[in-house]
Amino acid sequence: MLVFDHVSKCFGDLRAVDDLSFELEAGEVFGLLGPNGAGKTTAINMAVGLLEPDEGVVRFADEAFDRNPRDAENRRSLGLAPQSIALYEQISGADNLRFFGRLHGLRGSDLEERVAACLDFADLVDVGKKVVSKYSGGMQRRLNLAVAIIHDPELVLLDEPTVGVDPQSRNAIFERVEQLRDEGKQVVYTTHYMEEAQRLCDRVAILDRGRLMALDTVPALITAHGGPGNLVVRTGDGESRHETTDPLGTLAELQARQAVDHFQYLPPDLETVFLNLTGRALRD
Amino acid sequence: MNKIVAMAAKDIHILFRDKLGFFFTIFFPLMMAIFFGAMFAGLSRGPASIPIALVDADRTAGSARFVGRLEAAGGLAIERIPGDQALEQVRRGQTAVLVTLRPGFGAALDNPFVATPEVEMSVDPTQFAAAGMVRGVLLEAAGAELQAFMSDPSRMSVTNEQNRRLIEEFSPPSEARDDLLNVLDQIPRIPVLIDEAGLGSVTTGATGGFGPPLEIEQTQVQAQRRGPTNSYATSFAQAMLWTLIGGSVSFSMSIAIERSRGTLMRLLVAPITARQLLAAKGLACLGATLFTSSALITLGITVFGVTPTSYPLLALALLCGSICFCGIMMVLSVIGRTEQAAAGVGWGIALPFTMLGGGMVPLFLMPEWMQTLGNISPMKWTLIAYEGAIWRGFTLSEMLLPCAVLVAIGVLAFSIGATRLRWDTG
Repeated sequence: MLVFDHVSKCFGDLRAVDDLSFELEAGEVFGLLGPNGAGKTTAINMAVGLLEPDEGVVRFADEAFDRNPRDAENRRSLGLAPQSIALYEQISGADNLRFFGRLHGLRGSDLEERVAACLDFADLVDVGKKVVSKYSGGMQRRLNLAVAIIHDPELVLLDEPTVGVDPQSRNAIFERVEQLRDEGKQVVYTTHYMEEAQRLCDRVAILDRGRLMALDTVPALITAHGGPGNLVVRTGDGESRHETTDPLGTLAELQARQAVDHFQYLPPDLETVFLNLTGRALRD
Repeated sequence: MNKIVAMAAKDIHILFRDKLGFFFTIFFPLMMAIFFGAMFAGLSRGPASIPIALVDADRTAGSARFVGRLEAAGGLAIERIPGDQALEQVRRGQTAVLVTLRPGFGAALDNPFVATPEVEMSVDPTQFAAAGMVRGVLLEAAGAELQAFMSDPSRMSVTNEQNRRLIEEFSPPSEARDDLLNVLDQIPRIPVLIDEAGLGSVTTGATGGFGPPLEIEQTQVQAQRRGPTNSYATSFAQAMLWTLIGGSVSFSMSIAIERSRGTLMRLLVAPITARQLLAAKGLACLGATLFTSSALITLGITVFGVTPTSYPLLALALLCGSICFCGIMMVLSVIGRTEQAAAGVGWGIALPFTMLGGGMVPLFLMPEWMQTLGNISPMKWTLIAYEGAIWRGFTLSEMLLPCAVLVAIGVLAFSIGATRLRWDTG
């Protein structure tokens, strides 16, 4: 399992990751949530051995092993879907899968089985022989994800996998991530969309300016840092917003004073968690 | 109008930010101007000294005097070396012409009444222009020698006396023999009689009545062995060079492309080493350049009648050329980190070296300093190796030098590139 132990990384004067510590648990989808520049991609690059930490240690540890991310054995057990679509556009989707499969040591019928499985996973069976440049953005995103799992890794790292895709394709990617979790994979999922983290992740690490602000399950984070929810009511005087931890009680009080035409309760979410932790909105 | 100006300014700004565009807009034309200017500056001062090999098979005072006159005339860079070696030098393209002063040359020079001095010119068939210039210098020197003879009564008297003794010894007494001896007696007086007749100022030489002062027999070196079968033999060698250049520049961009498209990150995350990645890039470049250059020469052979003098040596030249340009590819890929920078740097370096190496203009047309400078160009050595196997008829030992140079450049460049290559993905 992936372990970050007091890891820091600087680029010149910029401290991109600052004393980051966490451990992945078996079979979970682990979210790294933060705005652009929070240090999510730097953390991913250190996890796959593309960057060396300046301080601390990144390792893959288990009862049986304790490996550096750069170990070849380790690389066989992880798959990366980079933030940008990293595919050879001039060759077909199937050939992309075959090429990367060969790099991971797959051959013959094993390779072909995995190519077929990955095309099926990405819902690209019908267009597997088409060159990637002919694919839509959503299809390329799904293939980008499929290439990461061609060698059936234990750990899959998805760096902002839904950037620039339409809602339909985004949903398709969510389903793929859930499928990976159902298959027992560990998934690290970076995003700056709190809805994605809230829907997909078992635990979420909230990053801001390289620092870990909080780490827990989504309900626990909301309970600890979300604060009260908001009850929005519309009366004859107009619309008003009321912070409350007891929406039904608050609504009853309001109705006792004046007829309520319409109401909506907005519970605290990761957005409010982030706002409360950093004093800034996630989209800033 | 402001919008038009703004858009034009933006395009100009982008042009100057685009290294490749900037190179071809400013530096390449400037380079062409300097290159051709330097070349034609040499021509306007008169042709550069033509390298010739000279063999004095006569070894007399007369032949030595003639050689001295050639050296003093200028225009020729004379190297005096043994005959066989000189011939090989011409065949290898290192010397344009071999001039051999045949036995009896000096005697004929000192006695123009009975014989014409003879020289043999062995010429590289690609250098006929240079051969024409050499012929002119030889005739000029022989004419000057004859003029000096005719202007010197004492030399003529000595020659006359020798001829008189020959006639008296070998010809029986007769009226014709007496007339001939009388003519000989008058010859030393010719300069005096010319002066007395008032023709001293109008005669510019004394060769008019004696025909050409020099007998020149010209032979093609390759014609006696195996020369270029046709003009395609030389043009295909140049085309093969260009395919190496194009291939190496394209492959130098491939690492930058992998970086910008993100696939480099995937490769680096895969369970392979950087050394394996490098080897794969090198192998791809080697294979592609070998394939394209082989395909070109195969086309030349099957369609255009090119007949290599040695297929094994051609294979060796193709391999060494590709090795060299694989190394160059690796260095170029280190210098340019983005696709545009890699292309700009690649062509920016390749084109001047190609010019210097004879890839655009034949080397012998360049000034001497430029030809010497051309030795630093891998393109020159590639052309020598290709031509050596295609039509110059190199032997294996002759092929070793260009091939060794190419392999050395390739290995050195690849090592430098591999050690300096940064595998970061950003």
